[in-house]
Amino acid sequence: MKQLLDSDLELVVESDFIYMPLLFDPEIEKEIQILESEKPLGSPGKPESKSIIAFEGKHFVKALNLHSFINNYEAIDAHSYHRFRNECLRKYRLTREVDGHFLDETLRTILFRIMPYFIKKNKVFNRKKVSDEGILDLIGEKIDIPGKYYIEAITFGDLNALKEILKELENQKPLFQMPENGLHSGPKLRDWLRKAIHAKVLADEQHRIIKSLQIREQFRQAKPEHIAVLLYLADAGAMEIDGFGFTRNNAVKGEYLIYKRTGDYILKDYYARSYLFPDCRIAVSTYTPYRPFVIEKYKHPFLLGHKAGQEICMKNFVPSNEFTAENVIRTLEEGLTAMRYGYNGRQRNGYHSLDEMWVHIPTTTFEDYRI
Amino acid sequence: MTDTEVKKILDIDEDEKLLPLVLEILPGHAAEGLIGIYEPGSYEGKSLRKLCDRTLNKKNLSIEEQLIVEDITRQLEGGKLLSRGQEIEGTALEYAVSEQTEAGEKYLYVPIRAIKPQEGGWDWGVN
Repeated sequence: MKQLLDSDLELVVESDFIYMPLLFDPEIEKEIQILESEKPLGSPGKPESKSIIAFEGKHFVKALNLHSFINNYEAIDAHSYHRFRNECLRKYRLTREVDGHFLDETLRTILFRIMPYFIKKNKVFNRKKVSDEGILDLIGEKIDIPGKYYIEAITFGDLNALKEILKELENQKPLFQMPENGLHSGPKLRDWLRKAIHAKVLADEQHRIIKSLQIREQFRQAKPEHIAVLLYLADAGAMEIDGFGFTRNNAVKGEYLIYKRTGDYILKDYYARSYLFPDCRIAVSTYTPYRPFVIEKYKHPFLLGHKAGQEICMKNFVPSNEFTAENVIRTLEEGLTAMRYGYNGRQRNGYHSLDEMWVHIPTTTFEDYRI
Repeated sequence: MTDTEVKKILDIDEDEKLLPLVLEILPGHAAEGLIGIYEPGSYEGKSLRKLCDRTLNKKNLSIEEQLIVEDITRQLEGGKLLSRGQEIEGTALEYAVSEQTEAGEKYLYVPIRAIKPQEGGWDWGVN
């Protein structure tokens, strides 16, 4: 379709359908004659749409519905759709998707329900619950947040700017008008398509702006430093404090990998010889399967191979099928405990044993870790 | 100081043995645990396990502390207390390191983890 719109061909629009020129071919000619003899063709402009229509002595075949084309354009030609979309967003200064992250429940769960378990919150020996604001303060202290986010935080709090944009959109919103019936050149239809996509994007974004304004109203009382932290996280999509961290999964929208570092640790073999294992990150994703795995290329008796992203071999572990803070904490703990404390040198439990057994299967060896 | 040290920690000076002892029992891999503070003279000669029991049986706990104790209790169902990667035995001083508060007050610190085992993999049946 894109090639047709880029070409110099003339296409017919009839009752919100695009009709493409029918190629001249003796066989097609014959078929048309049969069709014409069976049922007379309607003239353009009639409400009932035919499969083949004649216009200015040429035949055109019904190709696709314009509404459907616009609504599904993202799926039909993702690259072109995103180009149109970005063009439109840039025009209206709506390129950042910050607001969505402010309402991202998954991120909020990670920050305010999971992370507090794994990081030191209290500077003294009394144990008290730390509020969400306290967590944001802590992040601000421990993470070096670039100054630009503090400047943006002030802009974020200025609702008037956003209201102005909304008003501007309402006034300048291009009308989504269907092309008139009749002959249209490919480039002309392409230009119409661009406007139609812009209109669709603006309609979508207008809803987002209204929502965005509501969100920003909610954060109006928040300290700019806290907003700066959230803006930074929205951009970076990753953070690590005290060996606990998370990273946004760019392949799956709105999903994250949550991890905790093991730190260096020692395991002992059958003969009580020590092996020093390097630090690695035990992770669980925010989407199924909720099984712990090691992010790095790593070897361990509970890992089948020596590569990245391996699930940890666990005994009597049934992964939860629901994303909750409690489940993520437990899953990470199971993985950490398995790796650090689960191997029993006497039982040699695992895919591999640290020491070479009498019937040695040359799989993964750990001699280089021996101390 | 890492958990990788195999030998028990005995790097405190004689005069540091007169410092208060801070015991922290952490559930699983949590960053914060239940704190027990023991003044000099109250912990010497007592086993670390006994001090742990005393800490876990503290009264008048805050809600936060009660939640930590619940977590510890859950971990200890089939689990054990570990310090520096080993099951605790002996006295607190054998595991203590000297630390100080932001205000510069020195104390001896012993971190203990309540770990519920996760025996990953399978048993080869070789003993």
